[in-house]
Amino acid sequence: MQTNYTSTDDCIVALATPYAESAIAVIRASGDHCISYADRLFSRPGAIATADGNRAHVGYLLHPDSRERIDQVVCTVYRAPASYTGQDSVEVSCHGSLSVIQACLEAFRAAGFRPAGPGEFTLRAFLAGKLGLTQAEAVAELVRARTRTASTLALGRLSGRLERRIEAIKQSLLRVLAGVEIQLDYPEEDTGEVPHDIASLIRARDDVAALADTYRTGALYQDGVLVALAGATNAGKSSLFNALLREDRSIVSDVHGTTRDYIEASVDVGGVPVKLVDTAGLRDVDEQVEGEGIRRSGQIIARSAAVVYLVDATAGVSTGDEQNLASFAPDKPVVKVWNKVDLLPVDHAVPEGYIRSSVETGEGITGILDALFSRISGGAAALTGDETVVDSARQHDLLRRAAEALERTIASVHDGMPADIVAVDLQDAVGALGEITGEVSTDDVLETMFGGFCVGK
Amino acid sequence: MDFDAIVIGGGHAGIEAAMCMSRLGFETMMVTQNLDCIGKMSCNPAVGGLAKGNMVREIDALGGEMGRLIDATMIQFRVLNRSRGPAVQAPRAQADKKAYEVLAKKTVERQDHLHLYMDTVVDLTFDSSGRTVTGVVTQRGKRMSAKVVVLTTGTFLNGKVFIGEYSETAGRLAEPAAFGLDRTLAGLGFRMGRMKTGTPARVARWSLDFDKMEEQFGDDDVVPFSFSHTSVNRPKLSCYITFTNRQTHRVLEENMARSPLYSGLIVGSGPRYCPSIEDKVVKFPDKDRHQIFIEPEGLDTEEMYLNGISSSMPEDVQEAFIHTIPGLEHAELMRPGYAVEYDYIDPSQLYPTMEAKLCENLFIAGQTNGSSGYEEAAGQGLIAGINAARRLQGAPPFVLSRAEAYIGVLCDDLVTLGTKEPYRMFTSRAEHRLVLRADSCDMRLFEKGYELGLHPEARYEAFCRKRDTIAEIKELLQKRHLSQNDFDSDAASAMNGKKLLLERHVGKSLYQILKDPQLSLADVQYVAPELVEANGEIIPGEWLRQVELDVKYEGYVARQEKQILRMDKIERIRIPDGFDFDAVTGLSTESREKLNQIRPLNVGQASRISGVRNSDIAVLMASVQRRRS
Repeated sequence: MQTNYTSTDDCIVALATPYAESAIAVIRASGDHCISYADRLFSRPGAIATADGNRAHVGYLLHPDSRERIDQVVCTVYRAPASYTGQDSVEVSCHGSLSVIQACLEAFRAAGFRPAGPGEFTLRAFLAGKLGLTQAEAVAELVRARTRTASTLALGRLSGRLERRIEAIKQSLLRVLAGVEIQLDYPEEDTGEVPHDIASLIRARDDVAALADTYRTGALYQDGVLVALAGATNAGKSSLFNALLREDRSIVSDVHGTTRDYIEASVDVGGVPVKLVDTAGLRDVDEQVEGEGIRRSGQIIARSAAVVYLVDATAGVSTGDEQNLASFAPDKPVVKVWNKVDLLPVDHAVPEGYIRSSVETGEGITGILDALFSRISGGAAALTGDETVVDSARQHDLLRRAAEALERTIASVHDGMPADIVAVDLQDAVGALGEITGEVSTDDVLETMFGGFCVGK
Repeated sequence: MDFDAIVIGGGHAGIEAAMCMSRLGFETMMVTQNLDCIGKMSCNPAVGGLAKGNMVREIDALGGEMGRLIDATMIQFRVLNRSRGPAVQAPRAQADKKAYEVLAKKTVERQDHLHLYMDTVVDLTFDSSGRTVTGVVTQRGKRMSAKVVVLTTGTFLNGKVFIGEYSETAGRLAEPAAFGLDRTLAGLGFRMGRMKTGTPARVARWSLDFDKMEEQFGDDDVVPFSFSHTSVNRPKLSCYITFTNRQTHRVLEENMARSPLYSGLIVGSGPRYCPSIEDKVVKFPDKDRHQIFIEPEGLDTEEMYLNGISSSMPEDVQEAFIHTIPGLEHAELMRPGYAVEYDYIDPSQLYPTMEAKLCENLFIAGQTNGSSGYEEAAGQGLIAGINAARRLQGAPPFVLSRAEAYIGVLCDDLVTLGTKEPYRMFTSRAEHRLVLRADSCDMRLFEKGYELGLHPEARYEAFCRKRDTIAEIKELLQKRHLSQNDFDSDAASAMNGKKLLLERHVGKSLYQILKDPQLSLADVQYVAPELVEANGEIIPGEWLRQVELDVKYEGYVARQEKQILRMDKIERIRIPDGFDFDAVTGLSTESREKLNQIRPLNVGQASRISGVRNSDIAVLMASVQRRRS
């Protein structure tokens, strides 16, 4: 049974230029109603909706809910069939900073656009017959090349272990599904009313969700992580924060000025968008052992993917520092920084596990960033090799689809929905897992065909 | 030309094909071995059931006969799977076999432009190319010419009946098999094979002890199969349920060597889903009982059908094991069960129009294609008839997609995948099951039937009234919101126990409220009297039910429809007639072979052929598109 959920005329959006700092970035969107959807993102109501094809309009891109301005942009409208995909399309040229790009994409998503899959624009162009003779030939050639790559990737990446695990989950679900289908197709057999095997469903959902959670890197780059900057008052948190902001790689300072609770900024760490939170506005943890300050600080640290912990080298590791470090969850990645070394003799001893640094002179900042990157990316070294890890976006998406479908299945069973409805979601889950292990489906065909292109092309 | 069309065979496929072509004004000749066997039910005395009931209603919505035939001759009606959701609920009726045959014969006899002749077709004639059929030759040497030929030979082609050590050449017990066409087809280059199916013994009603069985009644409420009937008023008979036991199984085990299935006499593949009792005993040794439905074969006969224990054991063994079953201890056998083995053609040699790829204007339908079941045969017969007629009209082919009808699934499966065992429809074969509901067949297909010219105006107008009323009801449900005032009215007493539930929904439209799994249309009906009456007439409950199901399952259907739309796009990338797969560089050898063999009509179909690789589909898409530009 074939299952796929990607439509070929819903609204999709993707960055067409590389996700990197540049003067201008181009965001491309396509799909039925795409122009009226995009109108909701534009500062001049109706300007886009009524625009002629192939016309550019200057204005502000707004978040559709908050109506907050994100950036001044040029929005070009293409009307079907005169567009790359043959559908109504919109291209937005915005300023090329990572935060602007992210905010723009987020706005599109909030307005109902779905992030495009790899090669999806070209697929649409192809299906619309927009690719002519030479292009079609080029596609065919590309396809063949990409297929080999794609299958090598899909199969090669898929370690035997992962495949076996997914296959085992799939088999357990197939047994549940077969039970449902037999009841549906043989209503008169004396099998009686067999209850749904809810325990198997829950186990499968947990397994699938756990597998999906092993996928880190992709999500890391796409969604970024939260990193807390912690330490005693005089350890130099604010200085480090500002130093990072002064660096070229800092994007924008996004200060929640009204509450002055804490300061956060987005920083690019090895390509990962990191939301850095300075707890400077909070009362120092070592002064107030209990209370609101600790609670908030604790919350931020608990939510963070990693902590950068600064110690004032001239004061040494205090009891407060020791208490703080001990209070973190045992598996919390911590980058320990031995700051202010410029105030000490060059040959003084640095405690084990600390990075020698001086925010003042800039010494060690690269080291801090490198250490931070390796902690948040859960670098290869962090893996013991025994884990089954999902490392492709496609696998992860399919696992998530399976997990969501199982969630719906369980809910349907719980709500007493009829078996044919339960079967819809169960089939979806089985289909998604089947696609991971390489069973042929319509989806696979198209995926294999166009998956080799980069997103947005 | 003697005729526009010739139909070989008068079974369920032949009837639909012949009726459809003659209805469209084409002079059609139905040649059958025995005029007294038109519309004969060779096996179980029932029409419909899971997915099959949907197909009967699809046939009716397209303008076919089967629905009207069974409505007029049923002796029990039940909706199966009532508790398991709308998509898998299916109407099933016990038929009065003789009455069904009589009505089927009367129907074809009285049809304008339809001619009947009793003879056996043994050969086909061709034009000088040898690749276009021009007529038929009969056993008695009669030659008839026609522009199109529809072949529906059922189990008769080279048929052989087995009862234990006994065998005879027959298509049904004591009805002669047909020979000759098997050689003609083989000569054309058809890949052919043997299939096997079986039927149980019939026993005399008076010899059964019904006190030892459970009586199974039909539904009081009969929903007609045919959309042209508003009600069915027929006598009702009960069925009975009993079970085999260890002793039954022991009798069978002890005599297994005498079964033609296990002694090697039968070589054809039988259906896994409908095994004989000896098969069940061998394959499920742990089961200590198997269910049997005892079904009446008609109002005017004592014969009862033993559904669940088809067998080709020797007659003495059949008698012995049947007598071990509660209620059947003294059963008098009137006809033995038997197996029948017959020639079928690999249906992947057909287009989805049921036309043979190897021979122009030759259409093949029914059990000849390796299917099983009256409904599967009728569905193919109708598609063959429609497309043969369209060939005569010079009109483009008529193919139903997998998303439109079970008949679409049926034809696509057969011609794309072929079949290794008698093909039976299941709801699980349809990926778009939720939209293929039995109650919505008319909304899916009636318009098509009308456009094909298979519905008279009056019937079409009735359909339009239903379609429009359903649309109006939905609109009304959208517009009307539940208000607090509704609870003060006199009608509030009609809320039964649902008042608390309903109160949670104040302010919402009735349409939204209906999506609550715990509420039904009946629960909100009192709020809007228009839901009961339209234009002074009571709205039939069946229409309301259709609205209710449409609304309730809209979300789920939307999810499936997304898939359908998506799938449709590659389905719509057509592969041109005579497309040269050999000229496509980059196809793998295996895929090229399969593509040449199946000759898919579009890329969607190509993608479902087993053994054709994804990368090859991509290459194919690219070259088909290139050809077009």
